[in-house]
Amino acid sequence: MSLSANSISRKRNGTRRFVPAVDRGTWLPVIVVVALVIAFSWMSPTFFTWRNFSATSGEAATLLIASLGASFVILMGSIDLSVGAVVLLVATVTVALLQHFQSSDLGFLVLPFGALLGGLLGAFNGAICVLGRVPSFVVTLGTLSVFTGTALSILAGATIMFDLPFFETLSLAQSIPHLPNIALCAAVLWLVFIFVGIWTRFGRFALLIGGGEVVARTAGLPVDRYRVYAFTLSGATAGLAGIFAMSRLGAVGPTLGVDLLLNTIAAIVVGGTSLAGGSGGVQRTFIGVAIITILNDGLNLLGMGEYWQMVIKGFVVVGAVLISQDRLRSQIVK
Amino acid sequence: MTELLRVEGLSKSFGPVAVLQDVGFAVPTRSIIGLVGENGAGKSTLFNILTGLIRPDHGAVFFKGRPFRPRSYKEAFAAGVSRVFQEQALILSAPVYENLLLSQEHRFTRFGQLVDRRAMIRMAERIVEDAGINIDVRRNAGAFDFSKRQAIEIARACVAPRHLMGIEDPLVLLDEPTSTLDREDETAFFDLLRRLRRQASFIFVSHRLTEVRDISDIIHVMKDGRLVGTLGPREADEKTLHGLMVGRERADDYYHLDRQQAVAERPVACRVQGLSGAEFRDISIELRRGEIVGIGGLLDSGKSALGSAIAGVRPPSGGTVTLGGLPSSRPSIRRFVRQGLGYIPAERLVQGIIPGLGLAMNLTLPSADRYSPKLVWRRGLERRAAEAAIRAMDIRSGSPTVLLSDLSGGNQQKVVLARWLQRDLTVLVLDNPTRNIDAGAKEEIYRHIRSVTKANVDVILITDELAALIGLANRILVMQLGRVVIEIPAPPEAKPTEHDLIAHMLPSAA
Repeated sequence: MSLSANSISRKRNGTRRFVPAVDRGTWLPVIVVVALVIAFSWMSPTFFTWRNFSATSGEAATLLIASLGASFVILMGSIDLSVGAVVLLVATVTVALLQHFQSSDLGFLVLPFGALLGGLLGAFNGAICVLGRVPSFVVTLGTLSVFTGTALSILAGATIMFDLPFFETLSLAQSIPHLPNIALCAAVLWLVFIFVGIWTRFGRFALLIGGGEVVARTAGLPVDRYRVYAFTLSGATAGLAGIFAMSRLGAVGPTLGVDLLLNTIAAIVVGGTSLAGGSGGVQRTFIGVAIITILNDGLNLLGMGEYWQMVIKGFVVVGAVLISQDRLRSQIVK
Repeated sequence: MTELLRVEGLSKSFGPVAVLQDVGFAVPTRSIIGLVGENGAGKSTLFNILTGLIRPDHGAVFFKGRPFRPRSYKEAFAAGVSRVFQEQALILSAPVYENLLLSQEHRFTRFGQLVDRRAMIRMAERIVEDAGINIDVRRNAGAFDFSKRQAIEIARACVAPRHLMGIEDPLVLLDEPTSTLDREDETAFFDLLRRLRRQASFIFVSHRLTEVRDISDIIHVMKDGRLVGTLGPREADEKTLHGLMVGRERADDYYHLDRQQAVAERPVACRVQGLSGAEFRDISIELRRGEIVGIGGLLDSGKSALGSAIAGVRPPSGGTVTLGGLPSSRPSIRRFVRQGLGYIPAERLVQGIIPGLGLAMNLTLPSADRYSPKLVWRRGLERRAAEAAIRAMDIRSGSPTVLLSDLSGGNQQKVVLARWLQRDLTVLVLDNPTRNIDAGAKEEIYRHIRSVTKANVDVILITDELAALIGLANRILVMQLGRVVIEIPAPPEAKPTEHDLIAHMLPSAA
């Protein structure tokens, strides 16, 4: 850095901001969570109870894990529509293998296996995007169909039940009172991913690429490689979520993961990560997951039909984005 | 002759930069007006105002005697003012008749929705016949060569309004229409203009001064946002036009001529050999340590494409770049950055900065090797580096977290420069580093460019600003249509003049 007496002697500008400009995207989702909790507690006597908390947090765990990797994909300005399909395929393959080997001492090995298989599927997504210069929307729309179809043909329309002691420890046991282990795992994983997002090269590159891919390329950043990394990570967390989901249900059926297509993207976007890329992050995804899960749970407790729940959830997603995004800055709608 | 258009006291500023100052002139009916000036003289801004893309701060425009304040291109077009761009705006995969009647389809509908193609074709045939172009309007626009397509575009701009909307005497703004034409096509183009001037008027912008003189009834010269001269075709010889276009004094202090180094005896640090690409051919440059090599030329000279090829952003089709080690036939910005190259691209907002992210992140963008040598990104070190850069570059209202979109253009560019200055550089490739920034920031950036040469960094300076090119460079390569036509030495005691440079930049001199 070349310094000169001239520039030092000039007055330094006094307006230093240590805290980044607080935008609506950060605090609004939090307010929505608080408002939902208050509203549902008032309307339903069972909502604000430990029992319900334990049940809901277990449900939120799957969604949170499935959304962690996908948050980085969206932060980079791409999208992963195949999350739900990866969940289904990984769970299906895992359950098929478990059945085949009839072994119950494989135990926790299913977790790394799920992450690995999911990661491979994600890497496949990323590689096609990057090598073929195909928009991620198209690629993952295609693999959504490929993965789902593969899984359904393995299942052949049936639901496969199974029993593994490890799964009970994972999904039902509570190391911390009222918090199922599955939710604890998800929370820990979330904290790890926050660290990754804020403090590592990968997290920084995700932000830079999402904010300005051309700029990043022009400055020599390995954009393509990091895009593949992000899709791999998204696949890996989806694979983990697949194992978590099957451990909770004790079965794998054709509808596993179907709701995750909408719910992961909704959670990420409602949490405040821009679909255009370059703003937000995995720390916000937690709030989005909370909103989606609380909404599901609360509406269930109120006895609202499944179809109307879909309608309301859809409005909440669009509404949240409508309110929180800075529409003056984003001129392009895609 | 009656008056078609009158412009009075037109002024426009973007922030602190006055791009138009008190410009006034008139366009008589059925005339061709030439408009010349350097890049940044304000010609495009003037066109933008006349076609409703931007609004002036002061002044008035009268078209056919009435106040003319278009709020969009659509409004301007409906009144009879249209514009033909350098880049063509035809849909190549659609037939000529659809192109000619683009966004006028509603005039050819039956029963509300059905488009009457035969009526469209008949109308299109009348338009091309009237314009004197001999083509089949049912063929796709892409089937015709560049000059025919240009004729189609001009027919759309000046004949179609009369047939479609009954507009007599439209005004057509031509924005460097000939810059990509060869001689033969150029002659055809001027024949077309001479035919069409019986029914339309033109304002014609070009860098080719001789052709402006040949075709225009009156020539206006712009410089730094002002109208500095108006000449008839007889008095407008090239030398006079040059003088008016350039005409400024050279400020030795501004470019720190006293700090320009004599480099003839020094070793060659960076070598470009026989580099070719889509827009340039067979370019060889040798840079000696601490040297500034300037590259000048018109928009179509290929100088920007050359810069991005040397930096390794766009792969060349042939030739090598040597940076420190072995010659590389596949330059890659990624590898070059590790070897000490820095590159400031011309399009700051698209390629240079990430406006939605903070200053510190923009600053350390290419320096993951320093800020994240292992797993963790060293945010504390990054913040201190940002604070140091803010001080050293005098970045106004800067803080490590301020969004780049909240800074002025000049301060944004200082961040981009600081991004590279904090690395150990061997070569710095600059493409129009001071485009669209205020005079204060320019001065600052010139000072820093001069300073890095003291640290033996080679600088390749590509710029449209001739004064800066002459003031800063040790020698200047002038490019024309992808080739270096001359190398002009520029030692501090014998700097070339801007006239010298322009003479070599214009094809007419070739």
